[in-house]
Amino acid sequence: MMSSLWVSKTGLSAQDTALRTISNNLANVSTVGFKRDRAVFNDLLYQIQQQPGGQSSQDTTLPSGLQLGTGVRVAGTQKMFSEGSLQTTEAPLDMAIDGRGFFQIIMPDGSTAYTRDGQFHLDSEGQFVNAQGYALEPSITIPPDADSVTIGADGIVTAMTRGSATATQLGTIELVSFVNPAGLQAGGNNMFWETPASGSPQSGTPGQDGLGMVLQGMLENSNVSVVEELVNMVSVQRAYEMNSRVVSTSDQMLQYLTQNL
Amino acid sequence: MDRLLYVAMTGAAHIDRAQTVHANNLANVATSGFRADLAQARAVQVNGDGLNTRVFALAERPASDLRQGALMETGRDLDVAIRGEGFFAVQLPDGSEAYTRAGELVVDAVGTLRNGAGYEVLGDGGPINLPPYASVTIGGDGSITIQPEGQGAEALVQLDRLRLVRPEPGDVAKGVDGLFRTVDDSIVLPSSPDVGVVAGFVESSNVNAIYEMTAILELSRQFELEVRLMKSAEQNDEAAEKLVSVN
Repeated sequence: MMSSLWVSKTGLSAQDTALRTISNNLANVSTVGFKRDRAVFNDLLYQIQQQPGGQSSQDTTLPSGLQLGTGVRVAGTQKMFSEGSLQTTEAPLDMAIDGRGFFQIIMPDGSTAYTRDGQFHLDSEGQFVNAQGYALEPSITIPPDADSVTIGADGIVTAMTRGSATATQLGTIELVSFVNPAGLQAGGNNMFWETPASGSPQSGTPGQDGLGMVLQGMLENSNVSVVEELVNMVSVQRAYEMNSRVVSTSDQMLQYLTQNL
Repeated sequence: MDRLLYVAMTGAAHIDRAQTVHANNLANVATSGFRADLAQARAVQVNGDGLNTRVFALAERPASDLRQGALMETGRDLDVAIRGEGFFAVQLPDGSEAYTRAGELVVDAVGTLRNGAGYEVLGDGGPINLPPYASVTIGGDGSITIQPEGQGAEALVQLDRLRLVRPEPGDVAKGVDGLFRTVDDSIVLPSSPDVGVVAGFVESSNVNAIYEMTAILELSRQFELEVRLMKSAEQNDEAAEKLVSVN
């Protein structure tokens, strides 16, 4: 059968994956701490039908051969870890990281997840937890009689309690960084997991070693650019149409052949 | 049997192959750094007994189109695009060197700079290793500067320069994995100071979608013409059969 049919099929499925990436980015345009994905395409292997430079006769060689490409594949999706814009919320437990760092979250199974989403809450014991109720690591507990909580740029959490003129230091928020954040595995719920590709987490104090400051009362917006995604969507749609046009042209050629011979 | 039928058949078969080249270009219309393949047909005369009337068609891919693709702004530090002519050099797992225009670079877990397909990107001094950094800048000549993690903007460290080559047309050809290689082992490509890069941009595929669509339509019409010729050959045979039939 006509090989162009299968080549265009790879084009269609690659554009389909690209559209899925774009729609996920657009769906998360207002997700705090979201990092957008980008589909990376590679051309597939080429098949040599005639070897360039092969012998066409004893004394002559072919000037150019015929190598047929077999289409395209999605080599992977790259997470783009550029920083999203910062938004002021004035909520005392909201935090944004201005730099490369991640917050650490202890999962129910004891493993550690990493997130840029700084929307923290307090649980019934006064502990810092994220929207799913999983605790921030290292654990910080606000005493019940605290009036106000202050988080410094260096991650030191202090509270003013009633009847005391001095602030009580409650703990320090640690951040971690990765050599290759794009290698982290996205696990949903704004969280990432360490993989062999990401390298191991390097923990440290906020504001040092390039980890970035912790900004209280602010949140990091999604780094999705709506205009860019819409432009990408247009080009993906047109590429999809052109590949489907090749399929229908190949189909017509086969149809003409079978009907006329 | 009429030889016309076989001449028309080779025409149709090679149109199918040329169609595949264009379908592959269109499938890669969004592959960054992809270079479109050209397809051409060559006439091959069949020499033999009698008059040399038969000329078969032979589809070929003489070369790849090396024109520059559009530059798309991404703002990512490690996206680099080549301005004008030239190639990035990458090292394959077997240690050999190949060339590509795709510059969506990534850093792997041990800090080695790789391109989007996962091949090690070469600098003038071999594969490039980035120590932990706070920020990275790739200059217009491909030189890589980092601000090491935990240090200020005054402590910039210049690492290597990306190995950029500028082969003569015809010195490199696309291999079976889509990477370019020198056509002859004797050709050594030195790093060229003339090749300029721009960071924060990705070069799109240079496939001209309108040209490819037109070529596909033209080829499909040619295919119908070949099928018509096959049909005519059949009708000729039928007519000849009628002439000689006794009834």
